[in-house]
Amino acid sequence: MKLNKRYLRNIKENLPFYLSASILTAVGLVLFFLFYIAGTGISAFGEKFFAENKVEDASFTTYIEIPDDKLAELENNYNATLEKERYVNQKEDGFTARVFVPNGKIDLYEIKEGRSIENADEILISAGYAEENGVAVGREKMVLRGKEYTVVGTFLRPDYLYMLENMTDDYKNVTTFFLAYMDEGEFTSVFGAGSYNYKVVYHDHNRIADFRKAVNADYYVSSYLSADNNARITFVDGQAQMFILAAWVMLVMLPFVTVALISIMIGRKIRSEQKVIGTLSALGYTKKRLTLHYSLFAVIPGLIGGVLTSVLALILAKPFGSLGLADYEPFAPEFTLPVWIALAGVAVPTLIYWLCGILKIGKLLKRDTVELLGNKVGNDGKAKKILARKKAKVKVKMAVRSLAANPGRSLVVFLGVFLGAVIVAFAFSFIDSVKAVGEQAHGEFGSFKYEYILNTLEDGNPSDGEAVLVAPFESKDGKRFSVMGVDGDNTLWNLTTQSGNRADTENGWYMSSLCAAIFGLEEGDEFTFVSIASLEEKTVRINGIIKNGYQNYIVSSRENAAEIAGLAATKYNAVLSDRELAIDGSSVMEIISDTTYETQMDNMLRSMSGMVYAMMIIGGVVCVAALYAVINLMVSENASSISMLKVLGMEDRRINSMIISANHLLLIPGIAVGILAAYGGMAWYSSAFVDVENLIIPATLKWSSVLITIAATSVCYFVSLLLVRRKVGKTDMVESLKDNRE
Amino acid sequence: MFIEVNHAKKQYGKGEAAVFALDDANFSLEKGKICVILGPSGSGKSTLLNMIGGLDSLDGGEVVIDGRNITKLNKKELTAYRKQSVGFVFQFYNLIADLTVEENVQVVAEIAETPLDTDEILSALDIEKYRYRFPKELSGGQQQRVAIARAMVKNPKLLLCDELTGALDTKSSRSVLTFIEKINREYGTTILIITHNEAIAGIADQVVRIRDGRIASKEENANKISAKDLVL
Repeated sequence: MKLNKRYLRNIKENLPFYLSASILTAVGLVLFFLFYIAGTGISAFGEKFFAENKVEDASFTTYIEIPDDKLAELENNYNATLEKERYVNQKEDGFTARVFVPNGKIDLYEIKEGRSIENADEILISAGYAEENGVAVGREKMVLRGKEYTVVGTFLRPDYLYMLENMTDDYKNVTTFFLAYMDEGEFTSVFGAGSYNYKVVYHDHNRIADFRKAVNADYYVSSYLSADNNARITFVDGQAQMFILAAWVMLVMLPFVTVALISIMIGRKIRSEQKVIGTLSALGYTKKRLTLHYSLFAVIPGLIGGVLTSVLALILAKPFGSLGLADYEPFAPEFTLPVWIALAGVAVPTLIYWLCGILKIGKLLKRDTVELLGNKVGNDGKAKKILARKKAKVKVKMAVRSLAANPGRSLVVFLGVFLGAVIVAFAFSFIDSVKAVGEQAHGEFGSFKYEYILNTLEDGNPSDGEAVLVAPFESKDGKRFSVMGVDGDNTLWNLTTQSGNRADTENGWYMSSLCAAIFGLEEGDEFTFVSIASLEEKTVRINGIIKNGYQNYIVSSRENAAEIAGLAATKYNAVLSDRELAIDGSSVMEIISDTTYETQMDNMLRSMSGMVYAMMIIGGVVCVAALYAVINLMVSENASSISMLKVLGMEDRRINSMIISANHLLLIPGIAVGILAAYGGMAWYSSAFVDVENLIIPATLKWSSVLITIAATSVCYFVSLLLVRRKVGKTDMVESLKDNRE
Repeated sequence: MFIEVNHAKKQYGKGEAAVFALDDANFSLEKGKICVILGPSGSGKSTLLNMIGGLDSLDGGEVVIDGRNITKLNKKELTAYRKQSVGFVFQFYNLIADLTVEENVQVVAEIAETPLDTDEILSALDIEKYRYRFPKELSGGQQQRVAIARAMVKNPKLLLCDELTGALDTKSSRSVLTFIEKINREYGTTILIITHNEAIAGIADQVVRIRDGRIASKEENANKISAKDLVL
């Protein structure tokens, strides 16, 4: 059809629109592709890596060591693979090493760089630490317990892809903590027997409970952590799923703006073509043919955007995917885009645009051909009578009416500002919230400076500090939490309930707000859980909630906690202190200081800053592209008014202020709603991913961030105005007057 | 002379497609007079009006208004010239659809250096009762009166009218032309009307005929009549 020659000409004539719409489509699709690529890449890598390196189903410790022959017996009886793992935590000046003897069956390591150990004076260290600290493989020497070892390789292992030093940590530590492997004989000679735990892989999941009961009956289980509760393992898939969710949000959110834009543009395009349509219709062109022709105009940005997306996705897949790996050990997933997702990504917006075009042309073709020939459709008195009899500046009245008479166009301006503000504010809110985690953590814990988690059960009271009993338990569906016991006169642990009273631990049970969020419980509810050792069910009534979004526990008196844990009332295994204590390092499993969380959150922000700043830039691009397209359209639509104002002797600056500045009225609401939505989004993220993050991130948006968001969005807004401003200057008075005459 | 057009040339297109909209056109008009320029479509009368109004630039020759050569003005000076000295009225009114009658007039009054009182001008053109109406709510004749009010509110020395009755019926045309006469009489405004309607020449002090970009004839109208008596 000869008419099809018009497509290229139309692109040329409406270049700003097609450019902006294509960029918006591409940005939306690229974000979708990249988040999807990152999510699926990480997830697929994790799945493969876990399978190849035999990731554990659980790890546990017992009070009585299980003899080797009994391990084999348990494996046979319960169709499981079982392995005893030997390790030691070695604290040196400036770092802590968790030194292992290599496993043979479960949680195997994979060499990342270098080679395996061949001699006694050689070690392997975890790849994240080596990369972070620039350890030279093959040359670097490290001293462990006074003896020098050469680092001959780096490795990854499946249960440490997310390098948490302690299970209570909220972020990885690769700056001062690493894993190491050394020869078994060397390990024994340097560290003796060391500590141990057991790793298990179940081949028959129906027998898990029986296995656990049998182990507890003979060897007394002191701790049990399933892989589902092990953040070092679950974080891999958890974060991957978050990326995939973000991908779908992007696919829905950004093309939505483009759809609104295109809807308006197609409406305008078709309206401006009504004479041609009327003529073609009069000449005998069928509705079907005209519908197809005009609806395909709407497909152009989808296709251009799709091609642009493919190019960008190709270029950015690796660097962007790598930004998503900031939290993990340095593994290298294959970032590939499934063909059907690539096609769907291009097809979905294109199809939406096409349908939108069909709807618009269909609506127009319902009108009488004579009306179309007379250019009368859409020119039937849209002006609103708002403020007609009110005393106000003409400029203000014109602005208000312009917005009210063009709701679609106003919506796109609003969405452009909103999207820019929401993305920038969300990025800031993320930073502020993560900082708030570090800043508020200690206040919610209590007033202690150090918490020493011991690896032994002590009796009575410590010579220094306050005693706490901490025992791990599981909910009925296997989610882990702690049962804690504190003395009634405890001063260092936060026992203030959300209603502001001090928890009466002697006479009841209290739950941390994190625990309440994870299990969906409230004050007055009953909580039934099971012992990780005996799997025996226990039920307590929750007398109150203590504000603590960082630790997952229920707390009562030491006596009550000991009773639940099946221990003597005088036992304790943790010590709180307001100063550093001289406790023998070998008996300490973990030390939490009042700056632990702050340091972790700082590290987290440092690692994720690339992705956060990338988001901010994308927010700016979306804002400018959407606003540029729609304001450009606004100037085109007002060409006759602009030329008339010029004829009347109005300066370009003043015309800009009259015509374009109408949008100023949408700037503040757009930014305000964007900021509120970003804060709401952060609050939603915080509550939706409590399980993944294992903490309640206090949704925060500081005033300084609000101000920067306002400034950044306003800059984007005014940049787009500046880009369009020249168009007012270029409007040809004579041509516009001629058009009017026609 | 208030208006002097000397050897004006304007060419559109190039080579074989070149069209001379103005081809050595010469014309002058005294201050306070009404001049009607007659010519068929494509004769160059709108181009001549655009040049006098400072909307377009000449390829040759000059336009002098009240002793000032406007062909030598830059863009900014031309804007100031239009703002201070010229009022325009077009065939299709070109009112701003989003503004009421009063606001369409006020928008010009706001930028004028010595504007007339808006109420006075609305009253003079008998449209004060429509002041809160929007252009779409008015008849063609009423809209054209608003356009005249808008052009006149800045109290220009020169009023340029491009086919101002071209879209109006006979009754409305007569009414609009009556107001044009009134303005000329009461404000002493020099008025230039371009039209292809010979009958309108009756109200002119001077009649100019233009054809193919050249001034074909220029004559004083000895038989000037009132707009009320025009046979349109």
